[in-house]
Amino acid sequence: MMSSNSQFMEVQNTITGTAHELMISGRIDGEGANRLEEVILASMRNGATSIYVNLNGATFLCSAGLRVLLQYWRQMKNSQRVLQVVRPSPDVAPVLENSGFGGMLVEKS
Amino acid sequence: MNCNGLKGHVEVLLTNKPGDRQRLVEQLQAFAREVQLPKAALQAADLALEEHLTNVINYGYEDNRTHEILVRLEIEAGALLVEVFDDGHPFNPLQRPEVDTTVPLDEKPIGGLGVHLMRRFMDELDYRREDGKNVFRMRKKLITT
Repeated sequence: MMSSNSQFMEVQNTITGTAHELMISGRIDGEGANRLEEVILASMRNGATSIYVNLNGATFLCSAGLRVLLQYWRQMKNSQRVLQVVRPSPDVAPVLENSGFGGMLVEKS
Repeated sequence: MNCNGLKGHVEVLLTNKPGDRQRLVEQLQAFAREVQLPKAALQAADLALEEHLTNVINYGYEDNRTHEILVRLEIEAGALLVEVFDDGHPFNPLQRPEVDTTVPLDEKPIGGLGVHLMRRFMDELDYRREDGKNVFRMRKKLITT
């Protein structure tokens, strides 16, 4: 959060078969949430059956980001696919925990 | 650690137009460095400002004019005080009902968590309408064990 290079959100997508792992770094603020929505939608369009949103490098998460995670967690589930959050950083884990989003978290090696 | 010794204040004048939010984040971080603000207080203020300013900018104005929003940060009596002054239509965030976080993900409403996060991460919230402006005041205690 304190470093200047964490002001903007960056995404790296690692694809293994139909599993997409989105490595998010930086701030998931309002603008970051819009970008997160774009990359999740792109993975869905590209046939992902599992989307793992890796928040290990995330330095900030606001309600706009939570809205995107919940919206697409639900859409994926309704189409017999999964979206899960993995490895939340200490900066964003309290936001997930305090919002009742624990059910979206999964252990992933 | 008791942070009663911390002092200082800063005012940041923003507008409701895109681009100013990043400047506020930079100013908040600079203020935090200057007064050696505990990380938890910085993160709470950062989150609370993001949520409140999103509401003000997205829902506070019914015209397309540029409006000024003043953010004031101050260390006062062992707490970080964050005040936001805007000339949008009257909006008291504290009238939003509490969110039940135990509702399963399948049944959660999408959205509405912004005020909830402010309530959770700041220690005190207060709203008043004064001289045609919304004044939203948030406090975060600076005492950690």
